[in-house]
Amino acid sequence: MRRIAIVEDEPAIRANYADALRRHGYEVASYANRADALAAFRTRLPDLALVDIGLSDDVDGGFALVRDLRALSAAVPIIFLSARDSDFDIVAGLRLGADDYLTKDVSLPHLAARIAALFRRSELSAAPPATEDIVERGPLALDVKRMTAHWQGGRVDLTLTEFWMVHALARHPGHVKDRDALMRDASIVVDDSTITSHVKRIRRKFQALDPAFDRIDTVYGMGYRWRE
Amino acid sequence: MSVPRIALSIRAQLLLVLTVFLALPWLGYEYVRELERVLRDAQERTLAGTAQAAATALHDRPRLFAMPPDPIASFARERADERTDGGPSLPPSASPEIAQIIEGLSRTTARIWVVDRAGVVLARAGTLKPPPAQPPPESLWDRIVRATVGRLYALVLEQPPEDFSDDAATLGAPRGRDVEGALAGILTTDRRRTSDGKAVIVSAAHPVWVGDQVRGVVVAEETGNAVLAERNRAFERLFNIVLAVLLVGSLALTAYATWLSARIRRLRDDAERAIDDQGRVRGALASSDAGDEIGDLSRSFASVLARLAEHASYQEKMASRLSHELRTPIAVVRSSLDNLKASPLPDDARVYMTRAQDGLARLTRILTRMTEAARLEQSLSDTERVRFDVVPVVTGCVEGFRIVVPAARIALAAPADPVVVAGSPDLVAQMLDKLLANAVEFAAGGAIDVSLAAADGVARLCVANDGPPLPEAAAGRLFESMVSVRKGGGPTDRDEPHLGLGLYIVRAIAQFHGGDARADDKPGGTGVVVTVALPLA
Repeated sequence: MRRIAIVEDEPAIRANYADALRRHGYEVASYANRADALAAFRTRLPDLALVDIGLSDDVDGGFALVRDLRALSAAVPIIFLSARDSDFDIVAGLRLGADDYLTKDVSLPHLAARIAALFRRSELSAAPPATEDIVERGPLALDVKRMTAHWQGGRVDLTLTEFWMVHALARHPGHVKDRDALMRDASIVVDDSTITSHVKRIRRKFQALDPAFDRIDTVYGMGYRWRE
Repeated sequence: MSVPRIALSIRAQLLLVLTVFLALPWLGYEYVRELERVLRDAQERTLAGTAQAAATALHDRPRLFAMPPDPIASFARERADERTDGGPSLPPSASPEIAQIIEGLSRTTARIWVVDRAGVVLARAGTLKPPPAQPPPESLWDRIVRATVGRLYALVLEQPPEDFSDDAATLGAPRGRDVEGALAGILTTDRRRTSDGKAVIVSAAHPVWVGDQVRGVVVAEETGNAVLAERNRAFERLFNIVLAVLLVGSLALTAYATWLSARIRRLRDDAERAIDDQGRVRGALASSDAGDEIGDLSRSFASVLARLAEHASYQEKMASRLSHELRTPIAVVRSSLDNLKASPLPDDARVYMTRAQDGLARLTRILTRMTEAARLEQSLSDTERVRFDVVPVVTGCVEGFRIVVPAARIALAAPADPVVVAGSPDLVAQMLDKLLANAVEFAAGGAIDVSLAAADGVARLCVANDGPPLPEAAAGRLFESMVSVRKGGGPTDRDEPHLGLGLYIVRAIAQFHGGDARADDKPGGTGVVVTVALPLA
């Protein structure tokens, strides 16, 4: 049975999330603060960690905890789940090595879907890719099972949200995906401006590999589209 | 702020104050005039004294005034006088004895005559025109002074003349009021101009008594040159000092005023820099350590700005902090409802479940709108400006809106040529989104006209609707945060919260592009036009 660690200072949310995840068949260990969580992680690594950034008085406790957890294991999937939704926090969280960043607006079914996807990605990363799971669009290759993206053969390090957005765009090149559709496909519940910054981050990640990258078009007032 | 009618810098004001000190030279002039009067009196008294002394030596010596003139002696003296004076021939001293007596009393610049009752000269000594003295060697400073202000003095002040017509010598005997007075038995002084008007002669005549009869007159004469020279010297020295003080004073005052106004200007620049174009406090003001009033002002400026910044950041953060604080309890409710939904519920409970979730969704949207404004400000400061064509942004947004709201009748007039501005296309799209949403809501099914035009370096984007005119009460406040003109009975959308942030965001984005936004009633009150002006890049 997969073991999920929830680090969250608000008891009601902690209990609700734990209940929901147990219902989905996971084993859940919940911690209210950084010290308890870290002590437990040192004894036994969880299969996935769900971490809040602000842990009561420890304002950035979640960031510190994820840094320590990444030091313990490079492979364990980590999701930030926070009330904070500023670009600064999202970027900071992802830089520390989190696999995804969700705001607390997320519904429990969405959260469960994310967790399942992350498990699938970590499970399959070792196995050889099956061709039917691969979407290829010119230099872009998306492995839907593992949720990995490659551009001109190089690995693009996308978060789950970003992966689903690229996937939604690239599946139907030339079609404009409006913001609602992107949000639906990437299973995120955020407002428009966050979509904009997600797209910006995706472009930047591709441009890190290929400075000439310009496949994602902004269609003002409508959305985005993948250019063939 | 009104512009003062007369703009005088501190420097100019201080220099104006300095003109008060121009009274100093006048005071000095008055003082020197007084000094001159005193010197003249003293000169007259001295001459009177000399005449009296000579007369005293001659009193009651009738023999001296009875002797006939000695032609040989007088001839010899005449020759000698001619040699020394070089001027008109002077009458000889007829009485060597008297000449001997007065010789001892004469001074270098004074001349003494002794005449008898008939006006015949009995003796005389001294001269009015002393040989020119060797001028003392001039220092460089003296030369500079003479070449500059010296010329001015020469113009203004009467100079002691070296050459003048010696009337008494020409006539051969003194003929003044003083002689007449003395012949009448009274010591008389006289001051008169020479016939050529060049010099002033001061003379004093004292009667010589033999018994109770006036037998002769002693006349002591002197030019006014010594007094004039003394007066001029005093005047020049005083003026030199006053000029130097004025010069140094005005230089020092100018330097002081420059320093003062530089400090004030620096304070003003700092204060202006501390607040950006959008009126936000950009940074703290470096307060001065100076102990004077300007230092005080700078410190109070700094503390005012700091308090202002605190207040502004409190206001800016309030919305986002509020939504952040609300987000956690909402997450509790949401996750609880999600859990509840997963467990078996009786049918009548499902209704309440749905209502609770609807309410929650609206609450979440309100929170999102509230953070939007605060987040926009954050993203404005992070956004990099690029040059872009507004036309495709406007066209795309309008088309997108037509798809999303098929019922809206939106007409678009955009130029074929690119309209390039500097900023962020994403932000302009966001702004248009707000404008169109507003227009659709107010038009209530009526037509919406969107037009874009570039003229005079400004891109003008107008969004007009056929809705009701603007309420007068809200005039000028429409673009402020949390101001909404929607009435309770007006067109409302139950799903969309009205926080009055839409036009606030429009203006914030317009100002980010260096432009502004305004709302006006259409002529005839048939609708409202919101105009956004963006400077072309």
